[in-house]
Amino acid sequence: MSHLMKMKWNSEGIIMDKMISIKNLNKIYKAGSVEVHALKNVNLEIGYGEFIAIMGHSGSGKSTLMNILGCLDKPTDGQYLLDGISISKQNTDELSLIRNKKIGFVFQAFNLIPRTSVFKNVELPMIYAKTKPSQRKQRSLELLGKVGLTDRIHHLPNELSGGQKQRVAIARAMANNPPIILADEPTGNLDTQSSIEIMELFTNLHKEGNSIILVTHEPDIAEYADRVIVFKDGIIIEDRRKEGVQNNLA
Amino acid sequence: MNKLFYPKLAINNIKKNSKMYIPYILTCIGTIMMFYNMYFLVLAKDIGSLSEKESLRTLLFLGTVVTGIFSVIFLFYTNSFLIKNRKKEFGLFNILGMEKKHVASIMFFETLFISILSILTGILAGILFSKLMILFLFRIINFEVTFGFEIPIKAVCYTLLLFVGIFTLNLGYNIFQVYISKPVELLKGSNIGEKEPKTKWILTIIGTICLGSGYYIALTTESPIAAINIFFVAVVLVMIGTYCLFTAGSVAVLKVLRNNKKYYYKSKHFISVSGMIYRMKQNAVGLSNICILSTAVIIMISTTISMYIGMEDVLRTRYPRNIIVEDTDISDEQAVQLDNIIEKQTSMLDVNIMNVSRYRSISIAAMQNDDSNFISAESSSYISKNMSMLLFVTIDEYNKMENKNLSLSSDEALLYVASGDIPSNIISFNNFKLSIKERLDSLYSEKRNLVALTNSYFVVVDSIETINKIYDELMIEDGDMGELSYYYGFDVNADKDVQIHLVSSLQNAINNSGINAYAEGAESSRSTFLSIYGGLFFLGLFLGFLFIMATVLIIYYKQIAEGYDDKERFEIMQKVGMSHGEIKKSIQSQILTVFFMPLVAAVIHLAFAFKVITKLLLLLNLSNIPLFAICAVITIFVFTIFYAIVYALTARTYYKIVS
Repeated sequence: MSHLMKMKWNSEGIIMDKMISIKNLNKIYKAGSVEVHALKNVNLEIGYGEFIAIMGHSGSGKSTLMNILGCLDKPTDGQYLLDGISISKQNTDELSLIRNKKIGFVFQAFNLIPRTSVFKNVELPMIYAKTKPSQRKQRSLELLGKVGLTDRIHHLPNELSGGQKQRVAIARAMANNPPIILADEPTGNLDTQSSIEIMELFTNLHKEGNSIILVTHEPDIAEYADRVIVFKDGIIIEDRRKEGVQNNLA
Repeated sequence: MNKLFYPKLAINNIKKNSKMYIPYILTCIGTIMMFYNMYFLVLAKDIGSLSEKESLRTLLFLGTVVTGIFSVIFLFYTNSFLIKNRKKEFGLFNILGMEKKHVASIMFFETLFISILSILTGILAGILFSKLMILFLFRIINFEVTFGFEIPIKAVCYTLLLFVGIFTLNLGYNIFQVYISKPVELLKGSNIGEKEPKTKWILTIIGTICLGSGYYIALTTESPIAAINIFFVAVVLVMIGTYCLFTAGSVAVLKVLRNNKKYYYKSKHFISVSGMIYRMKQNAVGLSNICILSTAVIIMISTTISMYIGMEDVLRTRYPRNIIVEDTDISDEQAVQLDNIIEKQTSMLDVNIMNVSRYRSISIAAMQNDDSNFISAESSSYISKNMSMLLFVTIDEYNKMENKNLSLSSDEALLYVASGDIPSNIISFNNFKLSIKERLDSLYSEKRNLVALTNSYFVVVDSIETINKIYDELMIEDGDMGELSYYYGFDVNADKDVQIHLVSSLQNAINNSGINAYAEGAESSRSTFLSIYGGLFFLGLFLGFLFIMATVLIIYYKQIAEGYDDKERFEIMQKVGMSHGEIKKSIQSQILTVFFMPLVAAVIHLAFAFKVITKLLLLLNLSNIPLFAICAVITIFVFTIFYAIVYALTARTYYKIVS
């Protein structure tokens, strides 16, 4: 895919090649009198269409970064621009809207809505995005076909295997065609075979032009990504690209 | 977005969570129905035809207030439990892009649908059951049933007002919960491990002190009058103690069990003890609630049943003779006049008088300062266990009363102890002293003093002058002692109707004579006693049922919540090689301990409260302690069976979820 195809234009007609831009980002958690500096002056730029793995041990700050990237948490200070929007300045309702339009989530624990069919689970984010019913139906079927679950659309989550649940979660994450998919340990609850299948699915989605950021502590999983960012004690200690992968950022 | 989207989603949510919402809706309906019924009884016209309508209505109104307060607390608690379990669902909606105001809209519609359904069905069911309720009440108080059906609009309006208020309060709380929750907590939930609860020693100590103090008060309160004041304090202390000990004490006990290696390293204890340590933190409030509700149910039902069953005893204690004519401050001439009235009225009705007990006396309240010394009583001393009632009669009266021929000098007395103790042979009334010539073993009018709420002594002295001297010593305010009282009690060989008629004709004749005395009888007072004791019995059953309903729901919710919590744990246990049978045993060990702990605690509470309850029952004229003990044991037995059935039924839901 060419570099230009992965660029976007903002409302002023200026070309934006950075999907995510983070400058001097800090996150401090306060527990009583104790302060935990989870992220320390993090600077990071992620372009459109990248496939990134964020790695690190427990407490390294990777999940904190994931929460901030997913607009689920706000930084203590520093700047975070997502698709040209300054996230720090948004209120909770605006953040909900951003999550709905711009981010697709995939969780380790799947987090499908129980006692709700596979089809409805995928359809739900589109309902919030006010998509027309006919379009919703078409898109849901299309996405479920893409993840290989056409024959399971009326099943309930508890009738599916772990791998199948995660496929539904991926289809749901793709529902509103968000520019970014955030996956938090997506293979953490899966066996090896299902993990490979899920990672192949992510690879295919990336090939189709989707931006994917996944958090993992498994090096085998991280190898599927084009770029690996390693965290330790709240700072980036490594940011490497797979050989032959072009840096889209100028 | 379709305007009907949120209402539809709300209905779907209720349907999807039907396991939790159906019992909640049923409880709401039950609570609304019961509140309506109780208030209906307060207003019911049929009650107006009772002679004791005012006292019964006051009693029922008290029941309405208790039901109302209980409804607010209970439905709020149940709702908060439901919301706690659905937080993850709402967090997910929020993460997927639904704004908080939209989540609030869904909650609004959910509450709207539930409240409309519950209130309408509850009031309708209340109206349908109202006749049954009044029939049941009238059956208990032995009152003629009337025909007709009424729907007091005031009861409907107040029920509507109260429950719309409760649902609005719940909605406000739910929306507040949504606004303060952070979606990130959902993500954290799966990543952050639970921390083992620390042993909260301060809370354990506070709990132990509160419970110990509550028990101490209950055990050491001797005066029934003091028991009224102190009982509430003891109840509050025991409640605080229960909450603290279930929260902190249980963790401490479980950790001790864990350290006992012989007990802990057994397949059925290992998992349950380790699991319960984590679980107690979230379960403590629920278990304390079950414990307190169980205690309330057992105490309410056993006391009211024993009062109802023991009503004959109460009547006999209150009226040791069939008919009693009594007056205070009455001259000798008036006493003779009363004798004549009694003789005339009984002969007019052709009734034979038997077992006559007749004497003139004066009662003086005093404080028994030390063993044999009495001083003036102040108003505050009525709650003291040293409060004493002294009944003085002259030797002449005594000789007439007991058919004896004894004599006393001015510094001598005969003493009969109805309750209390005077160990010395010299009694002093401030500075005035009397030596006890003889201690009497029995007294003809003994029964009458059995219900004495204080120490009670019968003192026979030589003359009215001696009584006057004692009166001067013990009275705080100056003033003349006035005339003596007059008591005339007798049995009659006549049936119930004649006895009632005799009391009323005696009262009429007394009124006509211008004397202020009053005539009473067991039969004529029976309907009054039935209204009050029957009303209390009804209230006990009613509130007992309400509390049982609450207990069942709390148990049910606990089983569901724990089922979901344990599902994963038991899957892992199976994976690491525990057999199905072992898992089942482990589950039983855990559930049995957790669910029967509140019941055991409730029985312990009752055991400690037993003495103070008997004192309170004494205030209600019930002195039959064995009867109360039997009622309490039967109530505990029946309640335990019921509890076990509820446990077995709800445990099935738990097993279903887990397996």
